[in-house]
Amino acid sequence: MSTSTTDRPATGGSRRTPPVGGDPRPAERHAWIGRRERLTAGGFMAPSVLLVAVFLLAPFVWTIHRSFFADTRTSPFSWFDNYTRFASDPALTRSIQNTLLWVVGTVVLPFVLGLAIACMTDATRFSRLARLCVVLPYALSGSAVAVVWNFMLTTDGAVNQVLTSVGLDSFAQGWLLTWPGNTLVMILANAWQATGVAVILFLVGLQSIPPETLEAGSLDGAGSWQQFRHIVLPQLKPVSIIVIGMSLVNGLKSFDLIWVLTQGGPGRATETLAVSMYNETFLELRPGAGAAIAVVLTVIVLAASWLYLRRQLDVKGE
Amino acid sequence: MSLGRVLRTGTVAVLALLWLVPTWLLVVNALVPAESYSGSPHWLPTEFGLFDNMSQAWDKANLGPAFGNSLLYSVVSALAAAVLAAGAAFATIIMPVKHRALWFWVIYSGTLLPLQVFIRPLFLSYAESSLYDTQFGLLLIYTAIAIPFAFFVMRNYALTLPKEVVEAARLDGASWWRLFWQIHVPLTRSAMVAVFVFQFVAVWNDLMFGITLTTSRNIRPVMAALADLQGNYSNVGPPVVLAGALLVSLPTLVLFFSAQRFFISSLKIHR
Repeated sequence: MSTSTTDRPATGGSRRTPPVGGDPRPAERHAWIGRRERLTAGGFMAPSVLLVAVFLLAPFVWTIHRSFFADTRTSPFSWFDNYTRFASDPALTRSIQNTLLWVVGTVVLPFVLGLAIACMTDATRFSRLARLCVVLPYALSGSAVAVVWNFMLTTDGAVNQVLTSVGLDSFAQGWLLTWPGNTLVMILANAWQATGVAVILFLVGLQSIPPETLEAGSLDGAGSWQQFRHIVLPQLKPVSIIVIGMSLVNGLKSFDLIWVLTQGGPGRATETLAVSMYNETFLELRPGAGAAIAVVLTVIVLAASWLYLRRQLDVKGE
Repeated sequence: MSLGRVLRTGTVAVLALLWLVPTWLLVVNALVPAESYSGSPHWLPTEFGLFDNMSQAWDKANLGPAFGNSLLYSVVSALAAAVLAAGAAFATIIMPVKHRALWFWVIYSGTLLPLQVFIRPLFLSYAESSLYDTQFGLLLIYTAIAIPFAFFVMRNYALTLPKEVVEAARLDGASWWRLFWQIHVPLTRSAMVAVFVFQFVAVWNDLMFGITLTTSRNIRPVMAALADLQGNYSNVGPPVVLAGALLVSLPTLVLFFSAQRFFISSLKIHR
């Protein structure tokens, strides 16, 4: 491409521009223009590359490095000691259990509910209103969702009020106080927020199914369940992978909701890896342990991202 | 109406109602005047104390400066990220650059990593370099964190542009700089708006950098202020906290429903 531009003088490079009518050293001139173009391209890329490298990639490397050093005063090199704490520290074992619960909950609930709502609603006004109810919480922040659900779940909150008023006093309880109930209700709160985006994505996916396919199916005598099972579901596969991957990664990263609702408590019972890292680093003041948790979390997130990214990326840019 | 249809409508109605309950309670109880809140949630609005509650939340949690800060962080970071990412996408897709895959991964990798992996090194180096607890420090990290995904969107969009336009302009002697501002930016404007909306919301909703890299009330962003207000739940009373949550959600709610098209178009690309 650079060779197609040689008919014009390089801007600002008049010193090296040969006189009109002949170019004594065409090869050198091409190389020079190529270098200039690469320099300009570098100028366009530099701010992004620098910001990402300095603020994201360098801290990442630093964290990996830190995870191999102990948390005593002199912080000596300690091999994998920070990583073996995952097996010995009960708070971290619990954190891994919670993370697994979150992953299952944040993948299954928004997926199933989102798919159901997107498929069961149509273009009528009632359907659109119903969808709005589900999508609305998606516009709230994790912190705001936590405020709403704290109001629902505290001892004198709305859930216990409803249970008492219908005579189910025995079910009323401190929802955020005992494990595993507290983690499960937070997963539900997260699903309340996250289903909206799954609905939107599935709707987009449904629109891309050609109506002729469905018509052909019903002409061949397929019932609505058969149509869903054999025509709609296979066509939704690309969208499904995006929804699953997105929910998976968001579930692994979820911090705001837990932090504002319980700060990982009581007694570190509701921590996930994302919250444990923060607690170990800034509250327990064990940065090495925190760094190890961050690295483990990164590995899991990268593995989860790979599941859905590999089919979407076209890196060469052609 | 067939039985199947009745069942379907019923299920949708039940789900929608279940979903509506927390939203409904949020609004209704944010309306209850703080003094007359009886200790248990209200289900129907009776009095109107919303603005009172909001102004109490505004005072008690210093939401005023927090609002201004978040507005600054969201607008500037999202705008900077959109423009810088557009430039990087322009360079890697339109310009003749070597090692495109390498540059792609260098910039894009940032969006794959969880925030936890950046936070302590940033905290330490911010403390060292006196960026800690400054607006400029937060602007920098918010811009940096927004760039990878913005770049991904802008690059995907740039891939769909016809190459002939650029080649023709190059033959006419336009410089790359002019090409970028006068042809590339106008052509990719809709993708830039999508990126801006998306990153505005992401920065506005951020909690973690807000609570880690700031301490003073006139620097911290709005979600950190809300978390602080929630920490005083029993002191200020539920109506004030809920009114605060509603207040800080208004900008993103408005943006979400007025720019739905852009949201969806950026969602389609992934995430």
